[in-house]
Order: sequence, then C-alpha cells, then structure tokens
Amino acid sequence: MEENLNKHSDISAADLERLSKEAQDEATPSSSKIIWSEFKADKPAMVALILVVTFILFVMIASLFINTPKMMETDIMNYNATPGSNGFLLGADTGGRPILQQLIVGARNSIGIAIGLTLISSTFGICWGLISGYFNGYIDWGMQRVYDFMMMLPMTMMIIVLVTIIKSYNAVTLTFIFSIFYWEGTSRLIRSRTLSESEKDYVAASKTSGTGSFKIIFREIMPNISSLIIVDTTLSFAENIGVETGLSYLGFGLPIQTPSLGTLIANANDPNNITQYWWTWLPAALLIIILCLSISYIGQVVRRAADASQRHGISD
Amino acid sequence: MSLIEINDLKVHYPIRSGFWNRITYSVKAVDGISFNIEAGETYGLVGESGSGKSTTGKSVVGLEKITSGSIMYKGKDITKKSNRKELDYNHDVQMIFQDSLSSLNPRKRIEDIIAEPLRNFEKLDANEEKLRVLQLLDIVGLDADALYKYPHQFSGGQRQRIGVARAVATNPKLIIADEPVSALDLSVQAQVLNFMKKIQREFGISYLFISHDLGVVRHMCNNIAIMNRGRLVEIGTRDDIYNHPLHIYTKRLLAAIPETNVNHRQEHREQRLEVEKIYQEQQDKYYDKDGKAYPLVQISPTHSVALPEDLVEKIKHEGEVKA
Ligand SMILES: Nc1ncnc2c1ncn2[C@@H]1O[C@H](COP(=O)(O)OP(=O)(O)OP(=O)(O)O)[C@@H](O)[C@H]1O
Ligand SMILES: [Mg+2]
Repeated sequence: MEENLNKHSDISAADLERLSKEAQDEATPSSSKIIWSEFKADKPAMVALILVVTFILFVMIASLFINTPKMMETDIMNYNATPGSNGFLLGADTGGRPILQQLIVGARNSIGIAIGLTLISSTFGICWGLISGYFNGYIDWGMQRVYDFMMMLPMTMMIIVLVTIIKSYNAVTLTFIFSIFYWEGTSRLIRSRTLSESEKDYVAASKTSGTGSFKIIFREIMPNISSLIIVDTTLSFAENIGVETGLSYLGFGLPIQTPSLGTLIANANDPNNITQYWWTWLPAALLIIILCLSISYIGQVVRRAADASQRHGISD
Repeated sequence: MSLIEINDLKVHYPIRSGFWNRITYSVKAVDGISFNIEAGETYGLVGESGSGKSTTGKSVVGLEKITSGSIMYKGKDITKKSNRKELDYNHDVQMIFQDSLSSLNPRKRIEDIIAEPLRNFEKLDANEEKLRVLQLLDIVGLDADALYKYPHQFSGGQRQRIGVARAVATNPKLIIADEPVSALDLSVQAQVLNFMKKIQREFGISYLFISHDLGVVRHMCNNIAIMNRGRLVEIGTRDDIYNHPLHIYTKRLLAAIPETNVNHRQEHREQRLEVEKIYQEQQDKYYDKDGKAYPLVQISPTHSVALPEDLVEKIKHEGEVKA
C-alpha cells in the first residue's frame, strides 16, 4: 500500500514539513479563539463575563479571610445596625451579624453548590442522553423507563423529605441530593438531539471507518451538539443558583449557621425587615438577579459563537 | 468465485403504532434481491428514488440491520457482526455516501476525517499518517492547505472528493458509491467519474455504483441491475440493458435519459410519451396482483428479467424467430 500510494502521488516525505506549514498558515481558527473574538465583538457580554468571573473569584478568595462561626455569633449590641454604622458597611441583621460578610460567604456557598450541582447533573444528564439516544433499542427503552420513573417523583417534596431524614448534612451532601433530581431535563434534551444526529451519514462513515461506539458518541456526536450542551449548561447554572437559594429560603436548604443567598433573602419573610430593614435582604436579592442575568447573557454569546451563521465576531 | 455474493437480501423497516407500540406493518425497502459483484468491475444499481438502492448499499457495507438473506465475502456471511470483525471487513469494503455534506463531520478537520480509517485499521506514526493524508489529497486533486479546514469550507465537488479520499484511504477492494455525482453539475460530474475510473485502474477497486440515472451508468458499468420497489426487475450487461431492454420499467428509465442532440429532441419526446402510455396501460401485466415484481427469469446467460412465464415464452419464441 505504501508503495502503491507513493507511485501515484508526487508528494514524498521530503515535502511533508513544507506542506504542513502551508496548511498551518491557512488553518481555520480554533473554537476557543472564535468564542473569545465573539466576546470581544459584544461589549455588554464582555462586561457580563468580567463581572461574573471577578465576582466569583472575589467571593472565593475573600471568604477565606472570614471566620464564619465567629461571624454568625449573635451580637445584641448591633441589632439591625444601619449600613455604615459601627464599621458595618452593609449593616447587620436582627442577630447583629454583619450583612456584607454574610453576603460574601453566602455567595460562596450558593455559587459553590450551583457549580457542583451543574457539573454533576449536567455531566450525568449529557452521558445519559447521549448513550440512550445513540443505542436506540433495548438500552434506550430501559434508560427511558428510569427517566420516566424519576420524572414521576415530586422533586421538591423528595428533596425536603431527604433533607429532613438525613440528620447531619452539609453543602456537599446537599449538592449530591439535588443532583439526583436535576439531570433529567438535560438528558431528555440531549437524547432527542442525539437521536437525530445519529441518523446523519458522518456517524455511518465513522462506523465503516472502524471507530467504536463510545468513541463515536463522545468524539464524533458530542462535539456536534456542543453548542446545545454549552447553552444548556450555562442556563442550568443560572437556574441552579435559584434551586439552592429557593430551598434555603424556604428553610430546607443549608442549615441556619451556614449563610447562603437564600437564607439572606429569607430575612424578607419578616414584614418589618421588608419595609424598615431593607439592607438585610435587598443586596442578596439584587446579587442573584444580576448574577443570573449575566450568566444567561454569557450563555447566549457562547451559543452564537458555536453557531457559525450567527456570529458577530470574526467569520471564517 | 465472485468478490461479493448477495443472496435473497431483505431489509424491512417495521412501523410501530397504536397504544401498545406494536409493529403494525413494515416498509419493504429491499425485498429479496440477489446479485454478484466480480473483482475489479463496476456494477451498476439503478432505480428511481425510493426503490431501495441506498438501503442495499448500506447493507453491503454492514450499516443496515437486515431482515433475512445473506451477503457472502471470502466465504463468510458478513451480515453477522462477528464475521465482519473477524475479517476486518471495512478495511476492504468502504462507502462513498450519497450526501457528501452530511457524511463529513462538520466539527472535524479534513486531516482527521481522512485519517480516521487509517487510525483504526493501520497503525502509522504521526508523520507517516500525515504524509498519507497529503498523498490522498493529492490523488483526489486537492491542495495541502485543505488539511486544517472544515468541510463547510469546500464546494460540493470538493467535498465529494474528500469522501472519495476517505473511502480509498485503506486501499479497499470494494467501494459502494451511492450516487456519487448526483448532486454535482455536469462538468464536475465528468471530473469525479473520470477520477473514480482512474483510481479503479490504478488500485484495482470494484465499485457498486448506485445511481438513478442510466445516462451516467452507461459510462461506468459493465453489468447493471435495475431496481424497482425493493426488487430487481432486470439484470444484464450494458448491451442487454441499453439495446435489448425487456421490462417496461427499464424501458421507461431509458426513455427518461435526456437527449443531448437538439435535432432529435422532438422525436425523443414522442418516444418517451409512447413508452409512458404503454407503461400506464400494461403495468399490471408486469407486476403481480400485489404490485410486486415477478421473480427473475433467465433469458440468456447474462440477461435476466422479472416477467411472468407466458411473456417469457413469447419473448424467447420471438428471439428464435428473429434469429
Ligand atoms: N429508517 C427507515 N425507516 C423506515 N423506512 C425507511 C428507512 N430508510 C429508508 N426507508 C424507506 O425505504 C425505501 C428505500 O429507501 P432508500 O433510501 O434505499 O431509497 P433510494 O433508492 O436510495 O432512493 P434515493 O434515490 O432517493 O436515494 C424508501 O421508501 C424509504 O422511505
Ligand atoms: Mg439513496
């Protein structure tokens, strides 16, 4: 075969380097470059990206310098201290605990849980959907029944029950409990796209090229639904921030001594707080709104970058 | 012994419906066809859209789950996955797909697309592999700068050639070419066809050449099978099919070849209308009561046609009278 080809082509080993270099110069930009240029072309998206990244880095680092147990001690002297007084930049709550520090630690906890939850549930949901959609036979049938069963369970109620049964839970166990119930949406979405993607001839071509099933699933099909995956993941991240804060708000999320954005907003349960002591809950609420909006805006830009026909940045 | 022997191949797609999702009926995409492909030849498979050509082709390269029948290669039935594995079947049998755009992964660079079969079937180091890909690109007439580009950056004709380069990468013995030129304009068609002939001469490849156009097949194939509604209605050499067509469906396909000679256009049109009229009138004579084509009956050593017994007798008789 080697000789066979050599006979029919003038190209030999000597030309390899020159031709590779020529090709390199003409190469299409890689996808990370494309995403980056898309952000550069869209100023508001750039602002959102910088905002989210610096904020996450800030709370992660700043919370290291805060002694949480000490911060959460009640301090009657500073009961509902107003912002700016006594060194309380954003005031204090009914327990005299500083809002600013709680906000930092709370944001760290809430975002940490949201990231963990997104990583676990999206990874699981994506794998589930890809495998179910690709094999499309008994395997798919079985996986779909598991999915149906999970969808039948009343999610919020199950989480509340689990949280009540498990005596000592913390942020990590809570993340795992949430993950059990949050992969289904992703898996359904990914499965339906995988079903249609598997019909395409490039999958057939990979089969006849001798590529194995799992390599086809994860190296051929997955890159082709990557825009769907990225958008779904960013949107579920924004949504997952709401999951933990919502339950903490209801009192079923993180334990009281662990601050989170949800427990901070729960301050608004007290009518007094809503009208008089707005600083106990308003910063946390604003933070969540800004965070979720920025993240979903980032998701949109990434989707545009992944879809060649919608790009604002460089085109190829 | 032939390179590939297809015996009574059937591919039925079950259609499920109703509350219990049971199989209510099935689409008989391929319904009992048999033919052999010899080493080094180009075998034509012709029929109109939906007649089951692609399904046949996909069955031969092992992509389709077949309902019954067998496809023998080197004495083994390759419709079984274990046999395909054992023979390293796709090292020898490759496919050029009907839709060149959908058959190239849009997320992969040309280098990775063409190298895919090489990586799976032949262990080469990185430099050898790149050299082989560059040589393949050269053979199909593409420049080295194609290497790091993506499929959407090429024209239809160029993409078709990339598909060809991938199919010949492992130096296969048989290539299923599923309408390789249908999507191309005439000048590019000729280019790709000549190119396919060239590599056939040089590498000794056999083709199963699938097309709906008897005009194209004429330039490519020595033996031709005509397919209609999942069955073969006529098999023969090029001469048998073009000069002595017997089945009404073949005659109709022949009449549909566009006439390039302007002087004969009117004549050609009249002839086509006449064939169409006969087809409408005599249709039920050529198909059984279920609308299925009859089993093939041999007329001469090379020529078989799907006709009922009495018609065959008549034809044979006429032949003798003429001779
Ligand atoms: N996956 C499938 N499920 C159900 N029916 C199918 C499936 N694939 C093909 N068919 C049916 O089988 C028949 C033959 O299809 P096939 O693709 O082999 O036709 P073809 O001769 O290649 O046509 P064309 O010239 O348009 O490519 C068609 O009627 C089609 O509707
Ligand atoms: Mg087809």
